[in-house]
Amino acid sequence: MNFHAVRAIYVYEMARAFRTLLQSVVSPVISTSFYFIVFGGAIGSRIDQIGGVSYAAFIVPGLIMLSLLTQSLTNAAFGIYFPKFVGTIYEILSAPISFVEVVIAYVGAAATKSITLGLIILGTASLFVPIRIEHPFVMLAFLVLTAITFSLFGFIIGIWADSFEKLQLVPLLIVTPLTFLGGSFYSIDMLPPFWRTATLFNPLVYLVSGFRWSFYGTADVSVGISLAMTGLFLALCLTAIWWIFRTGWRLKT
Amino acid sequence: MAAILEISGLSKVYDGGFTALKSVDLSIEKGEIFALLGPNGAGKTTLISIICGLVKPTNGTVLAGGHDIVRDYRAARSIIGLVPQELTTDSFETVWATVSLSRGLFGKSKNPAHIEKVLKALSLYDKRDAKLMTLSGGMKRRMLIAKALAHEPDILFLDEPTAGVDVQLRRDMWNVVRELRDQGVTIILTTHYIEEAEEMADQVGIINKGELMLVEEKAELMRKLGRKQLRLALLAPLAELPEALVGRGLELREDGSELIYTYDSQGERTGITRLLSVLSENDIRFKDLSTSQSSLEEIFVNLVRNQR
Repeated sequence: MNFHAVRAIYVYEMARAFRTLLQSVVSPVISTSFYFIVFGGAIGSRIDQIGGVSYAAFIVPGLIMLSLLTQSLTNAAFGIYFPKFVGTIYEILSAPISFVEVVIAYVGAAATKSITLGLIILGTASLFVPIRIEHPFVMLAFLVLTAITFSLFGFIIGIWADSFEKLQLVPLLIVTPLTFLGGSFYSIDMLPPFWRTATLFNPLVYLVSGFRWSFYGTADVSVGISLAMTGLFLALCLTAIWWIFRTGWRLKT
Repeated sequence: MAAILEISGLSKVYDGGFTALKSVDLSIEKGEIFALLGPNGAGKTTLISIICGLVKPTNGTVLAGGHDIVRDYRAARSIIGLVPQELTTDSFETVWATVSLSRGLFGKSKNPAHIEKVLKALSLYDKRDAKLMTLSGGMKRRMLIAKALAHEPDILFLDEPTAGVDVQLRRDMWNVVRELRDQGVTIILTTHYIEEAEEMADQVGIINKGELMLVEEKAELMRKLGRKQLRLALLAPLAELPEALVGRGLELREDGSELIYTYDSQGERTGITRLLSVLSENDIRFKDLSTSQSSLEEIFVNLVRNQR
């Protein structure tokens, strides 16, 4: 294990986040706060409680998930795409470091950043909305597991992408819609029967539902299934990473 | 002297079917400067990229310091430093941060004193807190060398190190390379500037179309393949070569002002004495004379041309 290398990449990546604090922390916190104000305060005051929880409080877990997902994805994707784009990747490829170590360093840094951000947003939300967390350890487990899983997914996207357009494609065109349609803003019981069934094919439903359960103890699908689905997605990402590692896909000719 | 780099039967066929290397065998001794010459697309960068782990070999093996570069890649790569051809930089980082990153990547614990030494040797220490995008091209090149030296490698690859670098800086860089060699670092450089190889190298390898055509000690190569020319500036121009001088390897310059005699400096008899006496017999007088030896560049051009 090349511990020095893992640490060097991790520190380098974290330094990048501190250098771009405005973009990597302040801006997602501000934009999420707008959701609390608009949906929670303005619109939410005219909406009934959902499962015994005020609407403003109901949307908090989903909004944290939304930020966690997009930040994990874009951070990890950009982290590995940028060296590929400017060519500095040569140094990582020529270093005495295994692919697994590269993944640990990049994914670890991206996950650390998005978990920190998730906690900051949680703190910000508690300023606007009264929040209770019934299962704090499950909450943290979901936070960490999701951050790691989607950082892995982002890493794969960063390796796959050969243009900035592709880099943006997955977060913008797939993940954001899936999160909005994944029950962040409503309980899927509120949907007509057909759409309720269709929604169950959306993997993000399980993340949002499980995460919300850890707050309020109510969920659209059982928390066991939520955890299993998160684990399944993690396994899928690990398999893809293993395959990239085996073949040197998009990295070595 | 022990070989620090042993390449045997190395070949590379890219996915598109292009054969970049054809069974290259090469052994490089510890502590020498080896210059790899070849036209564009000859396979120089492919060879370096395989040794450094950027490109997967199709066949063959490479041992660096006795370690197989594929099976034992950690040990092999930790003694190798690479300065790539392209000026690739992470524009927003500082010199100090990027050079420190390099040291960590290659598995070495932090050592600010060493980084300071490297930056000072490359006259970059004043720029340690500057962002990379503010550096000039020459500084970026030196910064890449600093990155490659951050982990104290035994073998240093310089892929076209002085492309686009001005004359003064090129000389400075040569001095740095020589100092490294004196410290026992083995240096392998590719270059277009044959002058550079001639100035620096102990050994020269010429590669063309993926084949290593020859490897020779530079002095030996120049001696073997070098031809010498004797130029005689005539007092009175000649209209044509006098009959007595025809067939002696002599040429008359177009304006008739100069006689050029090409001879093999290796030969037992160069024929110069005989030539001079024939000249005086024919009363051809000259006001000046000079000799010149063919440069590595001419040798190289001839070799590559003959292969086509």
